[in-house]
Amino acid sequence: MADGNGHEPRIVAFLCRWCSYAGADLAGTSRIKYPPNIIPIRVPCSGRVDPAWVMEAFARGADGVFIGGCHPGDCHYVSGNYKARRRVTLLRKLLPQLGIDPRRLRLEWISATEGKRFAEVVTEFVEELKELGPMRAEEAAQDVR
Amino acid sequence: MSAKPKIAVYWTGSCGGCDVSFLEVGEAIVEILSRVEVVFWPALVDVKRSDLEAMPPGSIDYALINGVIRTEENREMAEILREKSKYIVAYGACAHLGGVPSLADLWGKEEIFRAVFGEGFRPGPPPGVDGEARLPDLSEKAVPLEEVVRVDYAVPGCPPPAPLISRFFTALFSGEMPDPPYVFANVKALCEECPRERHDDRRIERIVRPHEIVPDPNKCLLEQGLICMGPVTRGGCNALCPVAGMPCTGCLGPTPEAGDPGAAMLSALASLVRFEDEGEEYFAREDEVLERLADPLGTFYMYAFGKFRRRS
Repeated sequence: MADGNGHEPRIVAFLCRWCSYAGADLAGTSRIKYPPNIIPIRVPCSGRVDPAWVMEAFARGADGVFIGGCHPGDCHYVSGNYKARRRVTLLRKLLPQLGIDPRRLRLEWISATEGKRFAEVVTEFVEELKELGPMRAEEAAQDVR
Repeated sequence: MSAKPKIAVYWTGSCGGCDVSFLEVGEAIVEILSRVEVVFWPALVDVKRSDLEAMPPGSIDYALINGVIRTEENREMAEILREKSKYIVAYGACAHLGGVPSLADLWGKEEIFRAVFGEGFRPGPPPGVDGEARLPDLSEKAVPLEEVVRVDYAVPGCPPPAPLISRFFTALFSGEMPDPPYVFANVKALCEECPRERHDDRRIERIVRPHEIVPDPNKCLLEQGLICMGPVTRGGCNALCPVAGMPCTGCLGPTPEAGDPGAAMLSALASLVRFEDEGEEYFAREDEVLERLADPLGTFYMYAFGKFRRRS
């Protein structure tokens, strides 16, 4: 993973079980192609994603973290996605202080019917991360705990 | 306890405030000092490293170490004290969690030298000194004590507040020290002991810094928009800073429940910042408020970056 060319980014994706995870499933059952760079983790709600998990994913070498939640107004728990959005706003302020480009953290609203959109968004994110290149080698080496 | 407990107090990468903090207990210091035997305390008595090295292993009962581990010498002294002592106490936020100095790890050692001493600086022998003498080299990282030796107890704080110093010595003199590892501070959050009024359904529509407002003397500081680390920080100081009108900055370290103080406080803020209702039409206003948070890392990890950094 020395240079940006040919680098395959690793993305940890936290997907809400009600919307985005189902959207990802739909992409699969519809046989829509998208890059295999994501590691999906099903969560009950985007609002369940602890900011510590995001930081841990980066510390353990993820090149990107993706959070997929329900569209505004559609959260199964009414407002979990709104909370997730505010956390992401704050995380995007915090990450640059740790030397991490905030574009490496992405929040998207994807419903259960949006398999195609899921594939498009993931494709776009992988492209963006390829342009950003791998996390700096020394960053990965400095994983303290 | 028949014989007086033998104690050592040592400073590593420290500002000296921890050594002074013992006086916080007031007249009780007279009694405390009369009930212990100080065998090593460079700030107080004339002792040298060679004196410490001459002591038999395990001969000191409690070694209270304050300061971050910043140089090779700090590490060596911590290791010697560990060998000579039955119990090691991390005294103060630096030894306990890395403290303010561990924030320097956001930059590398070379960058620190450049910023402080300018381009071209090389650590070397101090001026006017001949021969082999040299200054101890800076370590790559400034780390809490527990990263170099096993730590039994912590008396946290920047510096430790009087009630916690008393709690430690009371336990020591009673002969009923808790089993290590143990932190001499509350498990519950500082908010539990804060006299300020707070509401269960609180939310905040603005973020302000301490110099920007004169806070209401009775209301919760967070509800007034000040970033108070109280919800994620251990109590034990009787809410010293909030009582005086300043938000808690987290020096006693996070509660066991909060864990990573930055992640916990970030979550707490994300829950608190909202308007009368939530939804897409509020996103821009919410972000406007959240953008006002200056220096999230320095605010959330002022004392605990050394322990909780995941990267630097």
